[in-house]
Amino acid sequence: MPEQRVVDADELILRTERQRKFITGAQAMAEAVKRANVDVAIAYPITPQSEVMHLVGDIWAQGYIRDYYRAEEEYGAMSAIAGAVRGGARAFSATSGPGLLRGLEAIASWPGHRIPVVLGVLTRVVNAPLSIQPDNVEISYLLNCGMVVLHAENQQDVFDFTLAGFVISEKVDVYIPVAVCTEGFFVTHAKGYVNITPEELKLPPRDPYKAPVPPTDCEIPPARIQRDAPVQKSNFMSYLIHAVWQQEIWSSNKRAMRYINHYLGGPIEVVNPGAEVFIVASGCAAAQGREAVRYANMEGLNVGLVKVKSIRPFPEKQVREVLSNAKAIIVPEHNIVGWLAKEVKACIPNSDAVIGGPRVYGGMTLPVELIMERVYDAFGIKKSKKVVV
Amino acid sequence: MKRYNIRIAGVGGQGVVTSAHILGNAMSAAGKYATLVPFFGSEKRMAPVEAYVRVSDQPIYEVGEVVYPNVIMIYHPQVITHGKSYTMPFYSGLKEGGMVIINTDVDIIPQEDWQILNELNTRVFNIPATKIALDVAGTELATNMAMLGVFFGITRLVGFEHIEQAVRERFLGNTFVASGGTTSLDSAIEKKFKKKMELLEKNMQVIKETFKIAEEKGWVEELALTN
Amino acid sequence: MGLEYVRISPGFERYMPKDYVDLVQYGQFGKEVDIQQLGQFKELVEEHPMCAGCFMAYFIRVFYAALPKPEDTIVIGTAGCARLALSQAAVPFIYGNYGDTNAVASGLKRALKIRFPNKPKDVVVIAGDGGLIDIGFGMTMHSWFRRENFTTIMVDNEVYGNTGGQESGMSPKGVQLKMAPKGKQFEKINAVELAKTAGCVYVAKLSPTNPKRIAKTVRRAVLAAREFGPTFIHAYTSCNIEYSIPTEKVLEDARKREKQDFGFYEWMTDEVKEFFEELERSPQEVKT
Repeated sequence: MPEQRVVDADELILRTERQRKFITGAQAMAEAVKRANVDVAIAYPITPQSEVMHLVGDIWAQGYIRDYYRAEEEYGAMSAIAGAVRGGARAFSATSGPGLLRGLEAIASWPGHRIPVVLGVLTRVVNAPLSIQPDNVEISYLLNCGMVVLHAENQQDVFDFTLAGFVISEKVDVYIPVAVCTEGFFVTHAKGYVNITPEELKLPPRDPYKAPVPPTDCEIPPARIQRDAPVQKSNFMSYLIHAVWQQEIWSSNKRAMRYINHYLGGPIEVVNPGAEVFIVASGCAAAQGREAVRYANMEGLNVGLVKVKSIRPFPEKQVREVLSNAKAIIVPEHNIVGWLAKEVKACIPNSDAVIGGPRVYGGMTLPVELIMERVYDAFGIKKSKKVVV
Repeated sequence: MKRYNIRIAGVGGQGVVTSAHILGNAMSAAGKYATLVPFFGSEKRMAPVEAYVRVSDQPIYEVGEVVYPNVIMIYHPQVITHGKSYTMPFYSGLKEGGMVIINTDVDIIPQEDWQILNELNTRVFNIPATKIALDVAGTELATNMAMLGVFFGITRLVGFEHIEQAVRERFLGNTFVASGGTTSLDSAIEKKFKKKMELLEKNMQVIKETFKIAEEKGWVEELALTN
Repeated sequence: MGLEYVRISPGFERYMPKDYVDLVQYGQFGKEVDIQQLGQFKELVEEHPMCAGCFMAYFIRVFYAALPKPEDTIVIGTAGCARLALSQAAVPFIYGNYGDTNAVASGLKRALKIRFPNKPKDVVVIAGDGGLIDIGFGMTMHSWFRRENFTTIMVDNEVYGNTGGQESGMSPKGVQLKMAPKGKQFEKINAVELAKTAGCVYVAKLSPTNPKRIAKTVRRAVLAAREFGPTFIHAYTSCNIEYSIPTEKVLEDARKREKQDFGFYEWMTDEVKEFFEELERSPQEVKT
């Protein structure tokens, strides 16, 4: 292991010269963790996540992380993460599908407990019949927790979002967890080009005293909220305490936007902003959307893409602005419920223009051709299915 | 350059996934782009296996299995005759103007399937890959190389040196570097290396053979010739 | 530095609440107290909303008085009666989610070890039978298997008191409770043997009839956890409401159970035994 030198977060993320590597999404996540000065990592196996925490384990064995163990199950893992972060450590864990749902009671309480941490979510089917394949319906369960939810399109995003995630989560005016989601297998097990920062540079250590809610370490007085007297009672005082606390969580969530702008170049990416028809997508579906834009351009169709990187906070204003003149809005997704389509519909006045779909689920791939069918429909083009590309 | 979305169907033990890697690495060696989707299923001898490769000279963003291929490579006739495939029929999703390369010396496509393939304006190439592998390399394990050779012979996507680099990487690995000549290696490594070199040599011979066949039979794509 | 945050900044003495000033001046921080002086010093927990005559509240009072280093101790609890008093103490308290105590404690203790390698920070879990042996069973056991350095204290009232009197795994067989309308169908779980099998280095079982003994047990459990590995105390802390024990009979009940199935039991590894023999022989330890 090379001796690592601490550099300023902005320097590391925005300015250091990067090297191009051809690595899997799981490797990209582990490489980010390696550069994040993590104290404690807690693992529990589940396909397709396991790959990530194997690699993080190797990083611990090499000396980059100070403590690591395999937990009893996800509820135990996520609770121990909460313990470690309260104790002032910088922590990391990752999970997938059923593991996320098993840990969700703990995870959903992280924001309210003011636990700044990064959680990798490598999506897989959660509903029956059982399957290990990518399907991202689990992200919808995270949307109401209060945490920041980022959705990575590819290996590069996984690296960038994970590394920046630690910095964003620990900002004093944010101080809530960040979930870095991406599709299992499609990204975790596939290789892509990733520009990564030098191995010998790492983020500054966590300063747990730079916090709206202090750590529980007997070095400074603990937070009053941890003592439950008024909050546990059925009276107006307790309702009020809970209400203002959660209002503050959701305000913190909104405040994360300025750092998403700063470190991730904004919550959305727009390709062909003047288009008549837009594809709005997140995660892997954005990659498919990118290809659909290419297909469409080859056929002379004016199609644009809005890639949504941040699902929480949801970039309502930015999405509304880009889509203000859209004739049709196609929202391809890797789940049956269409959570992204709902988000988009809820924030634009012309919600009739939203075409929810195509949707694939159960782990199926999302062929570009399916998106193209919706594109042809939007332009009123009748096509036989024989598409030559 | 055209984008090729390739689906390779074969049976366990034929080196379907290995050849997909070599195909992708050859593209990479030529400075072009390729993405590979590993197949997640049980890996058993003679059980169906599929691998998917996308190749282009432009960056590729698309992920997932190739559902709508424009190239289908059938490594074993049983994929068609016994339905040993995850995608049935074998041409499912094939795009208009695509190609199918089959390891066979006789026509094994049923009449009703021919009708559909003709409607789709499909080019079908039959090549006795296993026979060639046996004749040239003395092992049917080189079937996948024969299939690769004919694919590159038709498409001319990369040069021979790129294919050789990819095959070398596969058999010798990145770590196995015989720097300073074999004299500096001890005999055990030398023996191992020699064996690997022979393997590499034979595989390249098979690839060259089927590459040549594609040319002799006039299968080379028009687009490839104009480049 | 634990004492640093407890102390009142010079000049602020007259602005701080009287209770707090008393706590700093006449309390336990930075000193050893004699449990037999209980009532003559300012205690870490005084007011709490637990039921009149609750023996769990009494046990918790003695527990706090017995802590070897309260200014560097963190207590972790979960849903249940105990947390009503734990949250009122002048010791940092973490109230997480249902049954998560031993997982939270694992993460917390590891973080504190990393950040303060040369300074003992004691972590103590106090939770009920439901929290530790039912809903949190896996996490309780695994924290022991992993040999985590903290103490687990089960305040066993043999019922889900806080949710209205439902059967728990620790309720005795045959007892009729909510969710056990025909009486409990299986035996009380043998938590002490589980703890020994799972790797605890110090295990004790008691009925809180003798404060001196409670104090000694708590102190030993905390010190052994600091030095060697997981420790466990199984304390009978009756629920006088759900088991209809008249307030004036609570101590009598505790004595009765002590004779029946809660006789004092203490077990420790040879290593821990040696450690205490050495420690309790040294001059500064003589007063206990």
